[in-house]
Amino acid sequence: MLQQLLEPTPLPPSIKANRIPSGSDTYNEVLDFLYDEAEMLDNLRLGEWAELLTKDLEYNAPLRHTRSTSQFDQTYSRNVQHLHENYGSMLMRVKRITDTKSAWGEDPPSRIKRLVTNVRVYRIDDSDDLKVESYLLLTRSRFDFDYFDLIPCVRHDILRREDGALKLARREILLDQVVIGTPNLGVIL
Amino acid sequence: MDRTSNPKLSDGTLLSDLINLETREVKMRALSDPELFELEMERIFAKTWVFLGHETEIPNKGDFVVRDMGSDSVLMARGADGEVYVSLNVCPHRGMKISTHDVGNTMTHVCIYHGWAFKPNGDFIGAPVEKECMHGKMMTKQELGLKKARVAIYGGLVFATWNIEGPSFEDFLGDAKWYFDTLWCRTDKGMEVLGPPQRFTIRANWKTACEQSASDGFHVLTLHRWLSEVGPYRKPGSEGGGGDLTPEMYGTEVYTAHAHTMRCIELDRKIRRLTGKDPSELSIKEKLEALPPPGITPEMLPEVLRRFSDDQLRVMAWRPPQVGNFFPNGLFEFVYIPSPDGVIGVMALHAYVPKGPDKLEFVNWILAEKDTPPDLKAKMLRLGVQLLGTSGMVEQDDSDTWPHQTLAAKGAVSKHITMKYQSMYENNRLEGWPGPGDVGDGFTKDDTQWRWWEYWYELMTAEN
Repeated sequence: MLQQLLEPTPLPPSIKANRIPSGSDTYNEVLDFLYDEAEMLDNLRLGEWAELLTKDLEYNAPLRHTRSTSQFDQTYSRNVQHLHENYGSMLMRVKRITDTKSAWGEDPPSRIKRLVTNVRVYRIDDSDDLKVESYLLLTRSRFDFDYFDLIPCVRHDILRREDGALKLARREILLDQVVIGTPNLGVIL
Repeated sequence: MDRTSNPKLSDGTLLSDLINLETREVKMRALSDPELFELEMERIFAKTWVFLGHETEIPNKGDFVVRDMGSDSVLMARGADGEVYVSLNVCPHRGMKISTHDVGNTMTHVCIYHGWAFKPNGDFIGAPVEKECMHGKMMTKQELGLKKARVAIYGGLVFATWNIEGPSFEDFLGDAKWYFDTLWCRTDKGMEVLGPPQRFTIRANWKTACEQSASDGFHVLTLHRWLSEVGPYRKPGSEGGGGDLTPEMYGTEVYTAHAHTMRCIELDRKIRRLTGKDPSELSIKEKLEALPPPGITPEMLPEVLRRFSDDQLRVMAWRPPQVGNFFPNGLFEFVYIPSPDGVIGVMALHAYVPKGPDKLEFVNWILAEKDTPPDLKAKMLRLGVQLLGTSGMVEQDDSDTWPHQTLAAKGAVSKHITMKYQSMYENNRLEGWPGPGDVGDGFTKDDTQWRWWEYWYELMTAEN
């Protein structure tokens, strides 16, 4: 019961037969969506980004554990997560940065690049939504520090067409690090 | 370094030169000096009780998690007898780390280097090819077990110490126990973690986080001001113009001999808003029904009322401990967060694990009572993740601050600047305050944090 309440709705599987080929119109449209999204976020156009979200958004980043090879499928924990968000809480995160003078964790803002690669797009059975898998390498430069915080992850998204445009309905972020190597996830992945 | 009772750093500076007990100042250098760090690991983390986790993380025999006691990795495991054991996660043969996993279940921990095997309680089982006796004949099997720490379980929390003959855990808690019982021991079944802890790294000395967690109230006004600008403490009608958290700063602050401290923040305004009545006209029971402690529902209240004295219940209904620390590196939050669904309690625990003079690991557990209804647990968890820990909208501001303090502790000039704790309670104890310990009443002050440094100094200058 608690597990059901805590865990996000399971994502539909990525079925090989449902793969939408690279270079097709739909694939290109998805790619443009991801690139444009990265550009908005990198340039702090957060209000604009929030308009890409559906009202039933689920946005999560599970914890990870170091376990043996045979337990590889048990390395994710989806009850307590690093991010466990819905539409309202994502809007609050945006508002904290856009509407206050004291979102110190990102003010002054980090300089960030969201490098999006390895994009794969799948049709979902019995649905018009698209499942999109991508790799993201987020590089974060903060203050005058001479190092970058790197946040490599895989994203599993559900994109839905609303009023003709693609919107983000689900995102699960699978982080590589067990111990996150940046002082906070005050940035949007 | 000269390790006497007043340690002398290699440039001749005495520890006593870094702290002024009269003017309540600490030199920045004390925050991040590598020699002092080594001494802290020996004199604090290898001596006091250290918080490691919660027993519900390892419910079954053989379950284990790998944790840190200061700079040492330890195995926290449930043995064949159902008890919790804490052992050094280092093989007594050649010093390899025994478990390279974060979590798991096994009755036999086998070192991957030479195959020495140990029980969850740390006992040596044997080495491969028994008849050839890899472990030799000079030492008995009893002598070749993992180094075992002394363990105390309190309200499900697991603490351990290397100070095998040292003070008891009760002695360590001291006067804080009277208050901590109202947090950790509220129900018959007790608490549980809602999942494994979040973990992330901050390039900051552990003390930046820990002296703050000793009930620094003032920082909330500025560093966390967003809470009243757009966050849950935004006042109705103050759209965009909020920003004043002053009303949240009143209450009672408690500080104890071993530097466990807490801010007991007044609930009267919330209760007035929820009931429309003057809290002074309500009984303790009515107040607790209107605003039960985090994770407690009105249906669970009879059990809570039965477990505590009238004095403790009075504090729980009026000024409950909402944030505080246990020395050296634990922080707890039992906060009442206004939300569209009403006031939701959030219960979280942090350990700030030292990872060298300039780095700490932030470990964040989110908890609830076992008996808390699942839908409330889910709300508590979501709100906890949104406000605290890795992505927490409150704590991301803290984690961005501590690295700057740590850098300032290195400057040739700034390392001599002092941190000041000179805001003091003048009329200490509120008439009729029922709890023990040193107590300050009214607007937040620095006494709690100063106690933290006093105890740090006491341990750092203690004779072995």
